[in-house]
Amino acid sequence: MDLLPGASFSADALHAEKLRMEVIAQNIANVQTTRTARGEPYRRQLVSFESHLDPKIAAANPGAQLAKSVRVDSITEDRSPFKSVFNPGHPHADASGMLKLPNVDLAMEMVDLISSSRSYEANLAVVKTSRQLARQALSINS
Amino acid sequence: MNGMIEGIFNRDNYEAAKVMLDASVLRHTAIASNIANVETPGYKRVDLDPKFESQLVRLMQSGSPQGLEGVQPSLIVDSKSPSVRPDGNNVKIDSEMLSMNRNAMEFEFLAQYMNRSFKRVKTAISGTVSST
Repeated sequence: MDLLPGASFSADALHAEKLRMEVIAQNIANVQTTRTARGEPYRRQLVSFESHLDPKIAAANPGAQLAKSVRVDSITEDRSPFKSVFNPGHPHADASGMLKLPNVDLAMEMVDLISSSRSYEANLAVVKTSRQLARQALSINS
Repeated sequence: MNGMIEGIFNRDNYEAAKVMLDASVLRHTAIASNIANVETPGYKRVDLDPKFESQLVRLMQSGSPQGLEGVQPSLIVDSKSPSVRPDGNNVKIDSEMLSMNRNAMEFEFLAQYMNRSFKRVKTAISGTVSST
């Protein structure tokens, strides 16, 4: 049994949310990047989560096998088409003067960022409560 | 003498509080899992098996809670509560936070109950009421 009940799940979730925020930051930073190493504009990166259970943690908590932790399953590229604007003066514009811009939507990224940071806060609140429970358990008969 | 202290520790309320503390910790683990997976597609929330509570209540009402050791809290997957999201996840963050706080209060109550039980034994042994 854990001293801090459920804290390992929350720690994994905090880690996953942090990674998601980093990817969102990367998307926002590259909102105007028209050339990457592959010769095309920047493609929006997407983080997907999956639930998983570490066998070591499962063995330590045989009664709570159904409770699952979370981890980043994969970081994939958004395959939606690039935005195209007419900008003949731009060095990356094609022969007809059209310039391809990344498929990053700033509004979408900001909403994702808010939802990610709220999840982060919720998990921090769980850690705080876990600590409170542990402290109370330790103060029995003191 | 020994039998007297054992008598206090074998009291129904004390035994029940012990199982309920375990249940409270398990419920907190379940809530931690739910909140960790609030954005995992297809995740279904887990909760304490309601069977535990009904078993405990029935046992306490029967007046002779002999089988308390047999009542063990366990978790179940709650796939019944509806999902309002397209990804099939049925965790509602606000209700999870609410039940986390309620559960923490319940734990605090039980921990204090335990504390008082021990304090009563100490008072009986020393014959004086301890100041703290």
